[in-house]
Amino acid sequence: MLPSVCSRLSRVSWFCQGQRTLSLFSSSGSSNWSKVVSDAEKIVGYPTSFMSLRCLLSDELSNVAMHVRKLVGTQHPLLNTARGFVYDSKNNLQMRGLVVLLLSKAAGPSHTASDLLAQDMVSGIYPSQRNLAEITELIHTAFLVHRGIVDLKEWTVSDGPLKDMQFGNKMAVLGGDFLLANACTGLAQLDNTKVVELISSAIGDLVQGVYYENFNNIEENGLISGVNVAQWEEQIFLSHGALLAKSCQAAMELAGHDKESQRLAYKYGKHLSLGHKLNSDLQPFVKSDMGEPVSFSMSAAPVVFHRQIVGQERWHQQLQQAKTLGNQMDYSKLLAAVKSEKGVSSVVDLCCYHSNKALEAIQAFPSSEARSALENIASAITKF
Amino acid sequence: MAGPWWRQCRRWSTNRTTVSLFETLWYADGRSSSSLGRACWSSGPLNEGQPPSTTQIHLKTLTYNSSLIRQKSRFLYPTRQPCCCRTTHSDAKLKDPFTLAQKDMTSLYDDIKKELFVSTDELKFLCDYYFDGKGKAIRPMIVVLMARALNIHSNGSGGQRAVAMITEMIHTASLVHDDVIDGSDKRRGKRTINEVWGEKKAILTGDFILSAASVILARIGNNAVVKVFSQVIDDLVRGEFMQLGSKENENERFKHYLEKTFKKTASLIANSCKAVSILVNSDPDIHEIAYQYGKNVGIAFQLVDDVLDFTSGANQLGKPTAADLKLGLATGPVLFACQQFPELHGMIMRRFSSKGDVDRAWKFVIQSDGVEQTSFLAKRYCQEAIRQVSMLRPSPERDALIRLTEMVLSRDK
Repeated sequence: MLPSVCSRLSRVSWFCQGQRTLSLFSSSGSSNWSKVVSDAEKIVGYPTSFMSLRCLLSDELSNVAMHVRKLVGTQHPLLNTARGFVYDSKNNLQMRGLVVLLLSKAAGPSHTASDLLAQDMVSGIYPSQRNLAEITELIHTAFLVHRGIVDLKEWTVSDGPLKDMQFGNKMAVLGGDFLLANACTGLAQLDNTKVVELISSAIGDLVQGVYYENFNNIEENGLISGVNVAQWEEQIFLSHGALLAKSCQAAMELAGHDKESQRLAYKYGKHLSLGHKLNSDLQPFVKSDMGEPVSFSMSAAPVVFHRQIVGQERWHQQLQQAKTLGNQMDYSKLLAAVKSEKGVSSVVDLCCYHSNKALEAIQAFPSSEARSALENIASAITKF
Repeated sequence: MAGPWWRQCRRWSTNRTTVSLFETLWYADGRSSSSLGRACWSSGPLNEGQPPSTTQIHLKTLTYNSSLIRQKSRFLYPTRQPCCCRTTHSDAKLKDPFTLAQKDMTSLYDDIKKELFVSTDELKFLCDYYFDGKGKAIRPMIVVLMARALNIHSNGSGGQRAVAMITEMIHTASLVHDDVIDGSDKRRGKRTINEVWGEKKAILTGDFILSAASVILARIGNNAVVKVFSQVIDDLVRGEFMQLGSKENENERFKHYLEKTFKKTASLIANSCKAVSILVNSDPDIHEIAYQYGKNVGIAFQLVDDVLDFTSGANQLGKPTAADLKLGLATGPVLFACQQFPELHGMIMRRFSSKGDVDRAWKFVIQSDGVEQTSFLAKRYCQEAIRQVSMLRPSPERDALIRLTEMVLSRDK
């Protein structure tokens, strides 16, 4: 089954439109979320597959897809990333592209730029804005692929043959670079150096955010001190918000909208992605279904807040208490400890704050179905 | 402008004349799309079973008659009216490229480092790692000299220096990623980033340098220049993909090798030269001269690099010798040697993966005149570069660009 899945890697986002299941906000919120998104997709015209066919059907990506097949049975993370392109995972909803398109439509045609023609618009969106939405998705996907690179020195023989990992890394580097190169070409064709600058700086932000997330973070044992909610939020913005915020701003720039519209679009993108991230961090803490083994990252928002609330010392105690005899972490125990304090509710509050901020930003745009869709999306991030 | 690939291939396959090889080589400008590449395949297997002899490629008796000469018969400088263009180069009397470019080069690395804004100390350190002034910096030097040589034709412009920075930054970003792909542990005598800090950090470092270069590029504010560099990035990635595959057919293989060489090395130099030209000039003929100079020097540079992989001592190049063979790559010297020693064919196809392949291939190459032929080919590319740049008006910088080709050929590291 897997080989067939991987061979479809390059065509998937195009062909799976009809059947993708939206599990981003799983559990109770999901039906609401799916409806919000599928309604929104209808508004922007054709199906939201942003990764251009040209890129997906290229020899290079088929090459990668073919090679990825060889990785089946190994533990290289690229396999999981590839799998995620097929079965919608929480990371590959192409939500960023959709939001860029909705904002473009909500802002409407330009009144100032003379070289932009209203008749070029399709479903109220300029072609350049559609290309931008695609570029945003390409960059996001490139980083998903690059995130899956393995440090070979940390690989032990018991984990599997090193050769497989070297090969997987090679594919991940090339695949990610290829997507980035396509994004660069697409950017250049927009003929707007301000947009090139904005999106390039967003790539830089992403790198810094990912770097922080991976390496400056609380290590697995959670013993490194000095977590600070403000600093944490800044980094979360870099890794999860900057790309969408700057893409939203760029969509306004492409249509010749003024600085104020650009600022509001940026604000919407920023708060939506922060709220979105908080929502997914909250999932293990608000889900009620027992039975499944729980697991969460030590840098998940509720944990970060919890640590700030209880202080380092208590946190270390709780960590010790949650450890089993084999020195394994018992996550359900730790989960209970976090839930017993105000960390979770603080994060819920923060999530609502970002949702409200996003709603506030969008109010300045004229009322339209695209605006309603953006409102619905911003509201949906507070449903758990 | 170049004739379609497949026509070159056909000619090559039917006539086996010497000129056709070179025409094929000269046209290796990487513009052929993959569909044209496929057309080559369909031109049929050629001369299977008939071992090719070295005399097929009479490099030394080649009568060089590229259509490029015909195309560029209009000499730019003699026909131009001497006008009162400002010359920014005037104090330069020496023709040594290094000395001439020095003024522009001294603070280049510091300026690059200033552009790499990073909040994390370690990431900052990694981004700066190769901008230590220890590289050859041949790319920015070409850009700087080309910019000054071209400015005689017009007024000069800001942004040219930024192009030199971008060139070096894109080059460095691609090095950092290449080292991960190849699993290299040494570069310029230093341990590589992936070797010391791991692959994850190396990839992010490369991505960051690229994004910083793109920001500088965008700030130049010229859409044509942005497009030129997006082509470079596309070529770099496609060149890397080309390196994954090998071709069964010998002529296909040579074409593949040269196209890969263009994309991985020459495209950056060619397009950077074009970019500095676009910034000061609206004459497409001059852009083409700048581009052709960069392209030909770039290919020659890489051919020499491939020769040095066989001839240079282990420490001179900052990386181990026969590194390409060990990576499974068949470069110019091997491809030429294969004409004398068909035994190499099987090894090339299995990418020197069997035990003893690397040693045997090495010996064949040394016994053959593959090294000489590759060097000769590099020389021809340099001659074309000189011919191109000679069409610019004379200036110390133009002459330095000519001398630079000699340095490309004579370098031993």
